Amino acid sequence: MPYLCGMKHRIAHIVLMLLAVCNLTAQTTISGIVTYGREPLAGANVFILGTINGCLTDSLGRFSFTTSQTGEATLKATFIGYEDYTLTADISLMHNLTIQMNKQTTTINEVIVTASTFSFGKSDNFKTMDALDVVMAGNSCGDIVAALQTLPGMQKVGENGKLYVRGGESDECQTFVNGMHVLVPYSTNTENTAVRGRFSPFLFKGINFSLGGYSGEYGQALSSVLPMETTDAATSDKLGVSASLVDWNIGGTKAYQNSSLSFNAALTSMGLYDRLFTQRQEFNRPYRKLSGETQYKKEFNASSVLKSYVGYDFTLVGQHIDGRNLLLKEHNIYANVTHRASIGRGYSLFTGIANSSVLTDIDDARMVGDHYHNFRNEVHLKAEIRKVCSNVLKVSTGVENYIRNSTMRYDAYHYQLNYDILAAHVDAQWRIIPRVFLNASARAEFMKSDCLLMPRTTLSYIPNKHLQFSLVGGRSSQTIADDYLAQSRGDFTQTTADHAIFSMQYKSDATLLRIEPYWKKYHHLPLSEDGVYQPHGYGTSRGVDVFVEDHSLVKHLTTTLSYSFNDSERLYLDYTEVQTPDYASRHNLRLTAKYAIGKTIIGLAESYASGRHFPTGTTPHYNSVDVNLTYLLSPKVIVYTSLNNIFGRTNIFRYDANANPVVPSRDRFLYIGIFVSLKNNKAYDISNF
Amino acid sequence: MFVIALFMMASVSIQAQQPAQSDMLNSVAKLKRIEAMQPDSIQPKYQLALQSLSFAVTYPHAPQTENMIAEAEQAIAKMEQIKHADQSDICTLRGFLYMVRIVQNPAQNGQRYYIDVMQNYEKALKLNPNNQLAKQLQQKFLEGMKQQTDKQK
Repeated sequence: MPYLCGMKHRIAHIVLMLLAVCNLTAQTTISGIVTYGREPLAGANVFILGTINGCLTDSLGRFSFTTSQTGEATLKATFIGYEDYTLTADISLMHNLTIQMNKQTTTINEVIVTASTFSFGKSDNFKTMDALDVVMAGNSCGDIVAALQTLPGMQKVGENGKLYVRGGESDECQTFVNGMHVLVPYSTNTENTAVRGRFSPFLFKGINFSLGGYSGEYGQALSSVLPMETTDAATSDKLGVSASLVDWNIGGTKAYQNSSLSFNAALTSMGLYDRLFTQRQEFNRPYRKLSGETQYKKEFNASSVLKSYVGYDFTLVGQHIDGRNLLLKEHNIYANVTHRASIGRGYSLFTGIANSSVLTDIDDARMVGDHYHNFRNEVHLKAEIRKVCSNVLKVSTGVENYIRNSTMRYDAYHYQLNYDILAAHVDAQWRIIPRVFLNASARAEFMKSDCLLMPRTTLSYIPNKHLQFSLVGGRSSQTIADDYLAQSRGDFTQTTADHAIFSMQYKSDATLLRIEPYWKKYHHLPLSEDGVYQPHGYGTSRGVDVFVEDHSLVKHLTTTLSYSFNDSERLYLDYTEVQTPDYASRHNLRLTAKYAIGKTIIGLAESYASGRHFPTGTTPHYNSVDVNLTYLLSPKVIVYTSLNNIFGRTNIFRYDANANPVVPSRDRFLYIGIFVSLKNNKAYDISNF
Repeated sequence: MFVIALFMMASVSIQAQQPAQSDMLNSVAKLKRIEAMQPDSIQPKYQLALQSLSFAVTYPHAPQTENMIAEAEQAIAKMEQIKHADQSDICTLRGFLYMVRIVQNPAQNGQRYYIDVMQNYEKALKLNPNNQLAKQLQQKFLEGMKQQTDKQK
C-alpha cells in the first residue's frame, strides 16, 4: 500500500508537471503602455475581458502579463475618471500596445449645475451646512432664515428679518417642503420686530436655495425658491430636549422596521428674557409661541417612500404702542403627504398633497377698539413623473393645482377671495456635447381665464471639475398679495419677472469662488390708480453677487465673504414715480470666520449694508459684529451661545411716515442654549427626528 | 461564484494584518476583472466595493485612495440599480463609505458623517440582524469614536 501510494503521488506529480509545462507553452505575453495624452497613466487596470488575466500599469504606465487565451480576444483598460478602452484583436498581436485613454465625460445624472443655487447637503465639499451648522451659524440662533442671510444676493431688512433676494420683495421667495408649497413659512410678530423661519433645521437633510432661474417644477415665486427635503425614516429611537433663555423644546422618534414616527413640542417665550434685559418696546404680553410637529415616514421598499408632516404654531403677543394695546393671535397649521416611487423602466412617480391654513386676529391693530381678522388657506396638489432616458437625457413632466381661499375683515371693510391656479411643466436636461449641458423647461399656468407660458433655460459649460460657466434665462410668475388682489376689481391675474443670470464658479479642494451678475425685469406689478390696483407697475433689478469660501488660510479655519451689489427700481403700489424700493440697499457685505479648537467652535461674523431710501430720509448704513461659541460638552450635550452686535451699535432700520427712526427693540441679543440627547446612542445628533 | 469564492479566500481580509498596498490594489483590480466577467451579478460588485473601501480605510491618504472610494461608490450605485440586491449589504457599504471619510479627516468629517455611519449600520442590522460585517464595522466604529473622544478629554 505505501508503495502504491508513493506511485500514485509520483504519477500525480508527473501529470501536474506535464500540465504545467503544456500550460507554459500556451502562454502569450501581452504588453504595452497606457497614456493620457503624453502622460503615462499609473494604476490602470488592463485585462482580457472574460478572464482574470491582467495587471495594473506601473508608475511609467507600462503593463505586461500572460494569458492562456488564444485567437481573437478583447483587451480592456479601465481607470477611474477615464473612458473604458477596448481592443478586439488576435491575442498574438497584443504586444507593445500603446493605449490612449480619454477622460470620462460627465453623464446627465452626475452633473450638478450650481448656477444661482446654494445647496446644503452632504454631497458637495462646500456649504455642507447641516442642521448643526445652521444652529452654529453666525447669529442664526438655530433659524434657517437667519442662516441663509449669510449668502450673497440677500439684503438686510432688519425690521422683519425675512428673505429679500436680489432686489425682490420678501414674498417673492417661496418655500417648499418635500416639493410641496408652504403658504406662510415664517412665524409672526408685531410690526418692526424680526420674525423667524417656522421650520426647525433638524427636520431637513437637504436645502437647495435657488436665487433665480429655477426649473419649471417651481412656480408662484418671482425671485427665488427654497426647496427643503426632510430627513429619511429614522433607524433608531431618539429623545432629546433643549433649553435656552427664550425657548424650550422636547421631541422624540420611535423607529419601526421600515418606518418612523416623530413628534416635537416647543415653547418660545420672551417673558424671561424681557425681565432680564431691558428693551425699547413695551410688551404687555411677552411674545409666546407654542409649536407642535409630527412626522411619519415609511419606506415600503428601497424605491418607494412615503413622508408626512404636520406642524402647528400658536402665537400670542401683546404690545402697548401709540396709546393702544395691540393683541396679536395667530394659528398656523401646515400638513403635507408625499409619495415617491420607481415604477419601472427608469420612470419614477411623485405625488403630493399639502394644506396650509393661517388664522390671524389682531385687536387694536391700528386704533383703539378696532379688530383685524384674516384667514388664508391653500391646498396644493402635485404629481410629477421623471425618466432618465439615457446618459445624455433626463426628462420630467408634472401638473399641480393651487386652490386658495382668503377672508379678511377689518371693521366695516372685508373681502373674500376664492381662486385656483392650475399649472403644468415639462423639463429636459440634455448633455448636448461632452461638457455642455442644457436644461430647458416650460411652465404653463392657468388662472381665471388667463394662460401664461413661461420658458426657462440654463446653458452650462463645465470644462472640468473645477470650473463651471452658466447662462440662465427665463420667466417666472406669482399672484399678487391677497390685499392687493381684493382691491383690483378682479382683473388682476399674475405678475411676471424675466431673469437673466451669468454664473462663473471656480472650485478647488480648499476654495470656492462664485461670481454672478444678474438682471431682472418685472412686469404687471400692482400699481394703485385711483384706489384700485392695476397691473400697470413695472421694475428692474440688476447687480452682481460674489461669494468666496476658503479653508486654506489656517487649519480648522473656514472663512467666507459674501458681497452683493444691487441696483433696483420699480413703480408699484402707491409710488408716484419710478424709485428704489425702500427695502433695497445697494451694497451688502457679510464676512464670517469659523474656527474649531478641540471641542470648541468659535464663530465671528461681520454684516454691513448701505443705507436704504425712504421718502423721509436715507438710513445710515447697517453694521453688526456677531460672535458665537459652541462647546461639545459631551457627545450628547452641546452648549451654544451667541452675542449679536457686540459693539452695541444702534442700527436704524427705516424711517416711518413722520421721519421717526425705527430701531430694533434691543441693540444686542444674547442667546445661550443647551441641546441634550437623552435616548439617542449617537453623538452630535441633537435632532429629535 | 466559484471563482469569486476562491479569489476571496486568497484575498486580503479586512481583519488581517495591514497588507501591502500593491497587494490590495491588485486584489481590487482582479475583482474588477471578475465584475466585468459577470456584469449582472451582485456578488462581484459587493466584493469590489468592500475591497476598495478596505484599501481606503487602511491607506486613507494614499494617492490611489480617492480613486478607490470612487470605485466603491460606482459599485454601490450599480448594486442599487439591481432589483433584488440585498439592501442590508448596501447599507453596510454606505456606512463603511462614510466611515472611510471620517478616517480620512476625523476633525472635519467626524461630526459631519457620524450620524450617516450609524444610521446605515443600524438600518443594515434592522434589515438583517445576522449581518456580521455590519456588526463588526459598527463595533469598530464605536471603538474608534470612543478613542477619539477620550483623546479630546
